[in-house]
Amino acid sequence: MTDRYAMYIDTSKCMACRGCQVACKQWNDLQGYVPGVRETVNTGTYENPLRLDPQTWTRIKFREYDDGERFQWLFLKEGCMHCAEAACVDVCPTRALKHGPHGITTYERDLCNGCGYCSQFCPFHVPQLEVINRLTGEAKNSKCTFCQDRTTNGLNPACVKTCPAGALDWGDRNAILDKAKARVELLKTEWGFPKANIYGETQLGGLGRIYVLTAPPSAYDLPEKPSYPVSATLWQKILQPVGGVVLTVTTLGAFVVYLASRRHIEMEKVE
Amino acid sequence: MSVKIKGTSGTFQIRWIPKYTFLERLGHWVHAAAYIPLAITGFMLFAPWFEPLTQGSAGQTYRFLHRIFSIALGIMPIVYAVLQPRRLWMHLRENFRFTREDIGWLKAAIPYYILGRHVEMPPQPRFNTGERLNAVTIIIGTVLFGVTGLLMWFGRGYIPTWMYRLAVIIHDLTAIVTFAMFIVHFFLAVVHPLMWQSLVSMRYGVVSESYAREHHAMWYYGEKRAREMWEKHKAEKEEQQPAEQER
Repeated sequence: MTDRYAMYIDTSKCMACRGCQVACKQWNDLQGYVPGVRETVNTGTYENPLRLDPQTWTRIKFREYDDGERFQWLFLKEGCMHCAEAACVDVCPTRALKHGPHGITTYERDLCNGCGYCSQFCPFHVPQLEVINRLTGEAKNSKCTFCQDRTTNGLNPACVKTCPAGALDWGDRNAILDKAKARVELLKTEWGFPKANIYGETQLGGLGRIYVLTAPPSAYDLPEKPSYPVSATLWQKILQPVGGVVLTVTTLGAFVVYLASRRHIEMEKVE
Repeated sequence: MSVKIKGTSGTFQIRWIPKYTFLERLGHWVHAAAYIPLAITGFMLFAPWFEPLTQGSAGQTYRFLHRIFSIALGIMPIVYAVLQPRRLWMHLRENFRFTREDIGWLKAAIPYYILGRHVEMPPQPRFNTGERLNAVTIIIGTVLFGVTGLLMWFGRGYIPTWMYRLAVIIHDLTAIVTFAMFIVHFFLAVVHPLMWQSLVSMRYGVVSESYAREHHAMWYYGEKRAREMWEKHKAEKEEQQPAEQER
């Protein structure tokens, strides 16, 4: 597929300035510091906020890794992976989440009814449900859209545009993969990162984010082998058609029995 | 036969005997009034068959309605348990009790409901095999609905995702099974010509004496006597068999 685009994320170049977090909030009109509502709390780490939330679609994750030979401070840009086999798209009953242009998993906020299935079936726990009222169930999902409004108009995503270290790039997925492979080779041979690897090339049909990692994925708390949830397959591919067949057959069966009974039963003899 | 034709005037006299109490009937109709909208709003989210209806604020409204009706569905048995705990216990005992007659009933049910042949039906207590199967499905289904529903409603974000996913799967399976049961129940209770007394009994709480004798002999005569009569009836039939074959 040539029309699939991807984001290149080079963790060996990232310096954790978190400019991408700011640019994302700015472009997508998300809340940053709101006195009394969203305040910055010192938690003893540079990570802020501590996890993705409805107003934070991307953030830098800080991890410390020591393999016995050297110590590394790892910075990972988190966010929606835009999987080719996206469980969220399959479980979404409203088609608010769907596969869009350039292989982006797009999100249409107006169509979302807040059921929250996406947040529970994503193997990366990315979609964040903004629960407005837990009692009535009013909620809205939110997640990274790869700045669909920018990328479909020939611009780079806001985070890529702002990255001062050149750690981020955006483009045709095959070109990005080539760039990542060349970078990994360089890291292995010249920079002294024997464990450098690419993450996202094959996982879940190929991710929309191609990571260049300098340590094993588990060091970044990335799932080594993320898998499409079995429950989503069971639900979407088995229960739905089986349910439809069972209910149709039951209805038709009742109708046939009704017609047959009308022919055979003599109501005059029944009280 | 309980229907007596007096003289030449042709008036019917049917002896009605009570089958359901007021609370039983109320409970039935509250459950029905809650279950049907729950099924409609639930199946919207289950599959993309009704996709345009589930989108945006419309979907939000249906999800809200699903919660409202689920409260009615869940509260009703609790209220019943508070008001008449002994009777609820009796219901549970009689509905979860299956005997050897049930196999015979299931075998005889198909020719009975299609052809109207009643002779082969073994005696049944106050609820026959089909009614008990329906009751068992609804009771277990409502408990599963309640547990998984509350998990999804209040647990999302707090419980691990595997538990939420399992809850969704169980909720859906229960919905398919109970809705199939609902179709059968609706058909037999409302549509089927032989079962015209069922709606009457769910409205007024009574069935005719002849109906009770014919369909619920164990309840009408008592278990022991009903079984004796059934054995006698079978023996008589076996004697008649050779005569029928000659014909």
